[in-house]
Amino acid sequence: MLKKLYYKFRLANPKKPNANRFTRSKFGNFMCMLLIVSAGLFTMLPLIYSVVTSFKPIDELLIFPPTFFVRRPTTVNYVALPGLLSSLSVPLSRYIFNSLFITVVTSVLNIIFSAMAAFSLSKGTYKGRKIFFLVIQFALMFNAYTLSIPQYLIFSKLRIVDTYWVYILPQLAGTLGVFLIKQYIEGYVPDALMEAAKIDGAGYIRIFWKIIMPIIKPAWLTVVLFAFRDIWAAIPNGTIFNEELKTLPQIVTQITAGGIARNGSAMAITTIMMIPPIIVYFISQSNVVEAMSSAGIKE
Amino acid sequence: MKKKKYRGIEQIKSRYGWLFISTWLVGVVLFFAIPIIQSVIYSFSQVYFAEGADGTMQMQTDWIGIKNYNYIINEHTDYLSWLGRSVTNFLYSLPVIVLLSLILALLLNQKFRGRLFFRALYFMPVIIATGVVINLVDGMAGTDMTSSSVNESVSGGMFSVQDVISVLDLPVQVAEFVQKIIGDIFDLIWNSGIQTVLFLAGLQSIPSTLYEASKVEGATKWEEFWFITFPMLSNVTLLVIVYTMVEILVSNNNVMVSHIYSLMNAAVYDTTSAMMWFYFLAIGAVMGIIVVLFKKLLQNRWS
Repeated sequence: MLKKLYYKFRLANPKKPNANRFTRSKFGNFMCMLLIVSAGLFTMLPLIYSVVTSFKPIDELLIFPPTFFVRRPTTVNYVALPGLLSSLSVPLSRYIFNSLFITVVTSVLNIIFSAMAAFSLSKGTYKGRKIFFLVIQFALMFNAYTLSIPQYLIFSKLRIVDTYWVYILPQLAGTLGVFLIKQYIEGYVPDALMEAAKIDGAGYIRIFWKIIMPIIKPAWLTVVLFAFRDIWAAIPNGTIFNEELKTLPQIVTQITAGGIARNGSAMAITTIMMIPPIIVYFISQSNVVEAMSSAGIKE
Repeated sequence: MKKKKYRGIEQIKSRYGWLFISTWLVGVVLFFAIPIIQSVIYSFSQVYFAEGADGTMQMQTDWIGIKNYNYIINEHTDYLSWLGRSVTNFLYSLPVIVLLSLILALLLNQKFRGRLFFRALYFMPVIIATGVVINLVDGMAGTDMTSSSVNESVSGGMFSVQDVISVLDLPVQVAEFVQKIIGDIFDLIWNSGIQTVLFLAGLQSIPSTLYEASKVEGATKWEEFWFITFPMLSNVTLLVIVYTMVEILVSNNNVMVSHIYSLMNAAVYDTTSAMMWFYFLAIGAVMGIIVVLFKKLLQNRWS
């Protein structure tokens, strides 16, 4: 049995040329594979556990010590979700719509503005670019929460408290996105390409959309991933009071406030919340490594 | 068209440069620069609420100099211990995360079946585990599982991690260190997703000709790692170190950040802003020292 498994997962296939370039004993291969699988298992266990928990009936949730696997799976936690929220007078679908709408709109804006800023920072010639780049590096070191109070004052001055704008506007100033895309442009877009386009009569806006954006696709797909992830999970701090404008993360807190008996439902909504980021990940995953490799080109 | 030509290409270029960065700049000024300046002002002021001219409650700030900083350092009972705890926690998780992600990246960089699957797997927590989800999963899975299920299911119920450590008869500090790592294993693995990808990207950009040449020269695997892989990765390593430091020090799970956050929610703005800025300066100093040390001790040897 073990032997069969080993042959199935062995690292190098000696029959293929090149595959065995780095020679290692079979035992070594086995140990490496063991490490990979066990680390992978550790990575996934909490996620699997929370998905499994969402299918547990209430009596299994309260067993002590908790069991890992579910004995009698039910969907009762999922069915109960809309009922739990009925006291809030807004249907679950509205929260899901809010989350999706805000995340998609904001991610798209974030990417476009980040790419524009990165283009300007890497290919522009005006003074002050270095200062802007310093600001970005400085901002990367900041936790957004610590600025929530002064931000709130600005929201209230702009009279956008309790509107969708609270979610959208702060994302205009994406810092990680600008950083990644800028490094990528400097690594992969030669000046000669831009000059050629200019000689052919293209303006800067056209160059940006027709040349820069397609070339840096791996970078912005990666940034989409990060932006989607952050916005999807974001909870605006004290700026949204209207129940109809709230997003999924906010109701998760309300559900978990119900105590241990709500654990199943909390895990059910957590499982629902995991799905969209995973979909985005599978769309963009093949580009992540490529985009990251440019991050290390320069410091 | 003619008009543009007279203005000179550089001027047009810089005008478009400003055009492209303008939207981002507006966002940064509104939601980053102004709030930051505001919070610096808070840290030097007394902030209180009072009735304004129009009869509503208004936030008032009175400049009081460095009194807030004096208060948090000399009088506040917990601040320095929070600071100490978050710095020590950081000093222990930084090397663990960097090493762990380097090992994972080296493993994933090999040719084996299903490596794409495992690459996706290791990156998964980075995407899913944010905000509420990580709190919930961590809260439930972290406590429930590390305490019971994992100990039983992984070790087969025959022995627990603590038993192994006590049998090995390690020095107390080492044993505590190992125990802490095992207790935090989920956090550590979950925090090394991006670092693993960065290392992986770095590994893939090393030209394979270097390895071929070293093989012809008869280098062992060990020499190959120390004389090719590690030096070629030094830029990436620095990036990973900086990224990890930032992530540990500003994450919401950090002792300091979570206290600052709860104090902010309790509407204590003045001293909390001072706490934040002092913390920021302190971690800035720690990060600077580590980066300089890394450059002096390791990077300069090869460059």
